[in-house]
Amino acid sequence: MHFCYSVVVLSNNMKRMTIVFTLLLLTACNGEMVNTANETSLVEPEQATIQPLSSTSVNATRNGSESGQPTMLQEPEQNGISPTRIRIPAINVDAPIVQKRLNEEREMEVPDNGEDVGWFEPGTMPGNSGNAILAGHVDDRNGPAVFFDLKELEQGDLIYLTGKDGKELTFEVKKVIAYPKDNAPLHKIFGPSNQRNLNLLTCTGTFDHSIQDHEERLVVYTSLKP
Amino acid sequence: MKKILSALFVTMLIVGSMASSVFADNHSDMAMVRVLHASPDAPEVDVYVNGNAVVEGASFKASTDYLELPAGEHTVEIYAAGTKGEKEPVISQNLTVKAGMAYTVAAINTLENLELKVVEDSMNITEGMTKVRVGHLSPDAPTVDVGVVGGDALFSGATFPMVTDYKELDAGTYDLEIRTEDGTQVMDLSGTSLEENTVYSVFAVGMADNLDVLMLKDYTLMPNDMPQTGMGGASTNATSYLPMLAGVAVLGAGALLLFRRRTQQ
Repeated sequence: MHFCYSVVVLSNNMKRMTIVFTLLLLTACNGEMVNTANETSLVEPEQATIQPLSSTSVNATRNGSESGQPTMLQEPEQNGISPTRIRIPAINVDAPIVQKRLNEEREMEVPDNGEDVGWFEPGTMPGNSGNAILAGHVDDRNGPAVFFDLKELEQGDLIYLTGKDGKELTFEVKKVIAYPKDNAPLHKIFGPSNQRNLNLLTCTGTFDHSIQDHEERLVVYTSLKP
Repeated sequence: MKKILSALFVTMLIVGSMASSVFADNHSDMAMVRVLHASPDAPEVDVYVNGNAVVEGASFKASTDYLELPAGEHTVEIYAAGTKGEKEPVISQNLTVKAGMAYTVAAINTLENLELKVVEDSMNITEGMTKVRVGHLSPDAPTVDVGVVGGDALFSGATFPMVTDYKELDAGTYDLEIRTEDGTQVMDLSGTSLEENTVYSVFAVGMADNLDVLMLKDYTLMPNDMPQTGMGGASTNATSYLPMLAGVAVLGAGALLLFRRRTQQ
């Protein structure tokens, strides 16, 4: 709060001071809200109900020789890893990954602490075609948690995953989108895909004490870097 | 003090408008639709929905990811690639989709008899199990069964352009075959891997003398909701930030008074 004071002292012009003070109130007291509501990149554009595709992704490749015999078309070679560590240099994240499943209410379990990142193990392995899912807390009870700065990620930022066998995969950020918590496109986030995607999930928006939950969910969409 | 109050008022206005920030799409009103090119002799195509390109340059055996489409009726038009505006579509058809459902829209049969086959896709799987169905999309292939090599049929009497119901199975690797009803093998599908928590469509495509099988994933196990990934320790409080604002305003007012006194001295 002393920050407010110092800026007020610095400003000599009453009019400008009013504006500065207004902005200050917003940033000092409501930083996160400013971020999610003002940056339009975080909010899904209204008209984007159909994503135009520049080219079609072929789900299958020919598995076998060109013998003219009937052939089975299966998925391209799979390179999935069982991830154990995530690094995101752009926001100084370096964290262990733990495996998480569905609970009895058919919700995704999340780490019980603010340091670990949870991999949705029943879903896709990172590196395989589909949407692999990692979820981490934005904050714990006392302060920022592992994915606190996830909303700062931008297109082109890199995510590094290390697998149980030591293999490292690199993913590249494509989009960062915030959704109201009950209105996220689950099928698009968790469902099958021809692409090798990794989606990072956390909470964002204001924290509603009456329901002990944040009002929005942030999804960072990334794809395997070729 | 008046200015400070007006600043506070402006602030509240801005914050208020943010709180009701508009989220454009209501995803629960959406259907999921994917498009499959299963017409053996058709050229590369562009697919338009309500006049918007959703797929460009799709060739035989290509399939798209699922796309969100609002529930309701839509016009699907398929053009030979790059010919919209110059030529008529090769097919134009209305498609009605329901919210919360997933569909495969397949362009099937030969170019001369091109048609759209629309099927509903499964959106659930028992945890630990696998689920599969088969589609006979080969215009001139005979009626077939799909089953374990030399064993029981899993799907019987599939005929063009039929897509069977789903069958839930234990996950694992299956030695399957496509065979005619008299047991003659048409295609060996030994080593077909059906992963747990995954729903598949296995489509036989192409002409009978050049048959291929496409294996598409329709669904993978997913939660009912987005996970709850925060405990509130570093977040703005939705229910009580107004008192906080007021507190800051009071502090700011105090600071301003202090500042004025100092400059007056």
